[in-house]
Amino acid sequence: MSAGTVAAPGRVEQPTAPRRGPSLVGGRGGIWFVLPFMAVYAAFVLWPLLYGLGMSFFDTSLVRAESRFVGLDNYVRLFADAEVWRTLGITVLFTIGSTIPLVVIALVMALLVQTGVRGQWLWRFVYFAPFLLPVATVVLIWQWLFSGDYGLLNAALTGIGLPEVGWLTDPAVGLWSVVLLTVWWTIGFNFLLYLAALQAIPAQLYEAAEIDGAGGWRRLFGITLPLLNRTTGLVVVLQVLASLKLFDQAYILFRANGGPGGSATPILQYIYDTGFTDYRLGYASAISYVFFVLIILIALVQARLSRRSEA
Amino acid sequence: MTTSHRLSRRTLLRATAAAGGAALLSSCARGSGDAVDLAYWNFFGGSDGKLMVELVNRFRTEAPNVRVTDTTLMWGPPYYTKLAMACAGGRAPDLATMHGSRLSTFGRDLLDEWDLDELAARGVSLDEFPQPVLDRVLVDGRLMALPLDTHPLVLYYNTDICEKAGLLAPDGTLAPIHGAEQMLDAGRRAAEVTGAIGIALGSLHEAHIWMPFWSAYRQLGGQMRLPDGGPAEVDRDAMVGAMTFLRDLCDGTICSPSLDGQSSPAAFASQQAGFLFVGPWEVTSARTAGIPFSMTQFPALFGDTPYVRADSHSFVLPTQAQVDPAARSAAYDMAVSMLRNSLAWAAGGGHIPALSAVADSPEYLAEKPVSNYREAAQVVEFDPEAYFSGSGSTLMARAGQSLQGVTGRSLTPEQGADDLIGWLDDQLTLGSPL
Repeated sequence: MSAGTVAAPGRVEQPTAPRRGPSLVGGRGGIWFVLPFMAVYAAFVLWPLLYGLGMSFFDTSLVRAESRFVGLDNYVRLFADAEVWRTLGITVLFTIGSTIPLVVIALVMALLVQTGVRGQWLWRFVYFAPFLLPVATVVLIWQWLFSGDYGLLNAALTGIGLPEVGWLTDPAVGLWSVVLLTVWWTIGFNFLLYLAALQAIPAQLYEAAEIDGAGGWRRLFGITLPLLNRTTGLVVVLQVLASLKLFDQAYILFRANGGPGGSATPILQYIYDTGFTDYRLGYASAISYVFFVLIILIALVQARLSRRSEA
Repeated sequence: MTTSHRLSRRTLLRATAAAGGAALLSSCARGSGDAVDLAYWNFFGGSDGKLMVELVNRFRTEAPNVRVTDTTLMWGPPYYTKLAMACAGGRAPDLATMHGSRLSTFGRDLLDEWDLDELAARGVSLDEFPQPVLDRVLVDGRLMALPLDTHPLVLYYNTDICEKAGLLAPDGTLAPIHGAEQMLDAGRRAAEVTGAIGIALGSLHEAHIWMPFWSAYRQLGGQMRLPDGGPAEVDRDAMVGAMTFLRDLCDGTICSPSLDGQSSPAAFASQQAGFLFVGPWEVTSARTAGIPFSMTQFPALFGDTPYVRADSHSFVLPTQAQVDPAARSAAYDMAVSMLRNSLAWAAGGGHIPALSAVADSPEYLAEKPVSNYREAAQVVEFDPEAYFSGSGSTLMARAGQSLQGVTGRSLTPEQGADDLIGWLDDQLTLGSPL
């Protein structure tokens, strides 16, 4: 436990300032300000969450009015459904493949900008700008870049004498194209988190280290990285959760067909297809609940790990 | 600005509320009276979209008292999901477009049947439609969809390239192709002329690869029955045969195994290929490219009858919680109007008109090259019947994966067939949502 949580001895209670008008913090006024949010949250998050859970025990269909209680049938069935495991595998592969560059490159970019010379504002803007684009725009840009016939990427490859790559057509490459697009699109957010953390490290630490004769690398590994531990923990957790939710960019990039040979079909797309294309809502709910539990487990494990590393 | 004119928050709110109320009242007023509101949904984009707007506008001039709101939604799964949800929720449009092949899902509970007397009153009877199409849109003897067209897989050919390759008959049309070997050979000879490939086929596009597969499978005598609960009743030999043909086709010379849905018509339009396997709708891109080309019926590769995969854009009456008789009547008027005016649809989009009055008209017969393959309407083969089959369906997407495995040579035809059959069995065991 850190000392910060222990009250300092001899602390004197400050007299409260005279109140002017009704308080928004205490009293009853606050609830009215929170109520609109609570209502929307309940209607669009809590209720669907419970409704979906209920639905997963029925053979609910989108195209039939009545449904039958089937108990745990949907859950039993999904464990034997090869497509669930295949798409889950793709999702996990994407998560690993995207989280590593999204953490490492973001850190490198933040370090470069922090220690870099002039025009910091420009780099901050340039690195963060893609994050502001809507997904449809990002995918449109990359569809052109990835294109086999007139795409910039293949033109660059052939320009330097390398063979063309089937970015959107080769089953071995499809998922990695999604990774590339995602890294370009979302790295700005992690970059900002790292930059903020870097700026919070007191300059005196570096001065003291310099006086003690520590070089650049020594300062990086002795001061900077250890002090970024908490931020790295946060970035990794946020990134893993975000990557597990892969759906929209892959769905739009491959025009809903799951990529070449189905190699870029994340589990969320399988859930979507099952529920909305094949109209089997009950079964889709069951798969999404299993996935939901899995995400919670991963988040808990990560929280445990990061607590241990801080202790 | 003076204080008296300044807009206070209260005034603004009051004005907004008043304006909203007025708008509500005026919209109620518009609903009454002689005019009829008609909501129409379709999925036509690109050049087909332009032609559809023309058809809708023709009806607007014919029936000025009907206010048509036409909504174009994204083709494929999103369209059918939205339509199914709208039907299930009771607030569906008055009229909608649908592929005949999707009736196995929609035909049972989500659509109202067409009243033959109402159609007869507008001068349309069932004997005016091609029998194979009619067989598909009649569910238990009830007409669930009114066909606008038939659109089979067709064979496009570049007349210049084919001439140089010695593939033309004396009259300048493509010499008849009999059998798979001749088709492969024609592709090889065309490839020698182009220096690139012989036949453009979007093997990476699930619909493009499904069309020749299903045609070859049916020509080989393959049947497919997909009973709920499984297993799938499939002719494995025919499936292996059809996949072997596709593998031989995609050898990198005759067809490239890595063309997608956009690059295959582009390869034909840029004369990188002498042939194109796709539906008739690409006639626009070939015309725009200004290349010398023509179109013909997809040949008999196996057996004597050139069975060919096709579908039919049809009109349906989605079920509504409350049917407005005036709108329903206007829906009949509009559908019949579009059928009668389908010459523009056929000439521009390449689709074979369903209504014989149009299909047999001298104007349509004079439309070249799109009337060359009109006989295909008599040998069309729709996709197998299942809730997950048809145009833009899961079956098409999943079969595309098996087929691409074969054309990309990561699977042998035998493995491809077993992969697809295995998936069909799994899908059927999951049980039907109907």
